[in-house]
Amino acid sequence: MGFLDALLGGGRKLKAPAADRLFAMTTAQITLEVGVGLKHRGVAGIVFQAIATADFKEILTETNELIRGSAEDTGTKVEEATDEFGYRWVILRDADFEDLVVSLNTVSTQLQGGGYGDRLLCAVFSFEEEGRPIHVIYNFKRGSFYPFVPAPGEKQRNTERELQLKAQIGPELPIEPEVERWFPLWEIPL
Amino acid sequence: MARTRTSFGRDTGLQARMLLTMFLLGLLYVGFVGVLLAAGAGFGIMLVVIGGLLAAQLFLSDKIALRAMGAREVSPEEAPGLHAMIERLCIQADLPKPKIAVADTDVPNAFAMGRSKKSAVVCATTGIMRTLEPHELEGVMAHELSHVKNRDVLIMTLASFFASMASMISQFALFFGSGDDDSPAGLVIFLVSFLVYIISFFLMLALSRYREFTADRGASLITGRPSALSSALMKISGQMQRVPTQDLRTAGQMNAFFIVPTSVKGTIQTLFSTHPPMEKRIERLNELEAQLQAPTV
Repeated sequence: MGFLDALLGGGRKLKAPAADRLFAMTTAQITLEVGVGLKHRGVAGIVFQAIATADFKEILTETNELIRGSAEDTGTKVEEATDEFGYRWVILRDADFEDLVVSLNTVSTQLQGGGYGDRLLCAVFSFEEEGRPIHVIYNFKRGSFYPFVPAPGEKQRNTERELQLKAQIGPELPIEPEVERWFPLWEIPL
Repeated sequence: MARTRTSFGRDTGLQARMLLTMFLLGLLYVGFVGVLLAAGAGFGIMLVVIGGLLAAQLFLSDKIALRAMGAREVSPEEAPGLHAMIERLCIQADLPKPKIAVADTDVPNAFAMGRSKKSAVVCATTGIMRTLEPHELEGVMAHELSHVKNRDVLIMTLASFFASMASMISQFALFFGSGDDDSPAGLVIFLVSFLVYIISFFLMLALSRYREFTADRGASLITGRPSALSSALMKISGQMQRVPTQDLRTAGQMNAFFIVPTSVKGTIQTLFSTHPPMEKRIERLNELEAQLQAPTV
């Protein structure tokens, strides 16, 4: 942040999302599975803010049709949910991880194509360690990933495990460098 | 790909106004210091005093403001809902998470302070959290976050500092300046300071009102729901008239930083108010909503 930025209020615009980095998750999954010993749960989600406009609804319907269409080849199941914060989720289920990433990319591309790219909040990949969930979150605005490990208790997170995971998958994934941007996501309906 | 909703049109007005305000303020103070020097004030002492006060203002203003409001920082355990809401808005707005504070008062209000994105504090009163629905509160918090994103809080802090300096000096000159030798210097300092105070006061008001529109727009950009913010504004302004006057008065000094000013009175209100009239803000939000709802070709 420079002096002029301070004067002019620089960085006001919302950044366009970076979607193509999503595919880095395919290689990272192998590391997570083989190297770290996590199991993917065959589910991933994309969370966004719904806007009440006519064409947004249209795009959602189109997206659904598109995924259902390609789901016949891949076998991906699609669900929708709304969380308690009023955000919408498109939840994808597929035992094949690569298909999951491809379908997730389809959803985000579709929303971006409609001009709603800046509505995308994150994509969430769900893993499991000794029966406990571990999430890898992709922040579209930053184009970066970070681990999110909920801990037992009301809205607690296991920061130590998250930092361990960062060290383990760091070489595979563009990890968000600023730890203060590792925002938790509560009530993940995956 | 032709359809783009990424922004509700361009808005460079705030940048231009912020630059102009800074320029005019700078000009004002060069002139002011010149007159003070000509009137015989010691250059070194003046530099140290003004510099020191400015640094204090920059680095302590958020703490002073929180103290004045009786607000305190809250941890995620104390206010989980508020934290989770702001975290999501921060992802959406691509901002680092600010400090979050809560003021225990019935006045439904919110404000943002801080000299940079990293040191920003966003404060909500318990009154506003009780009054508003979640999506309305989200609109209000997005409004405050866009003040942080626009960095206009810094300019306001600087502008109000200069204004209060001038008012201090003019008071000082009035009480002590023309004391023993009846020289005209004290009177000149008083008059010039007073003039400087008035000019910077109006500059501040102009910027303050404009930045509210910009933040409303920014909030709509973050949440995608202009009408949620306008319904929040309507609710707050309706509520405003019913809150106890004691609270209004204690909150009065900080009006320029609030989402809705607490003192609403008089016909010269529009000239002196730090915030644009509520109807104007709601009207503009309505225009944004119309833009959103318009069919795309």
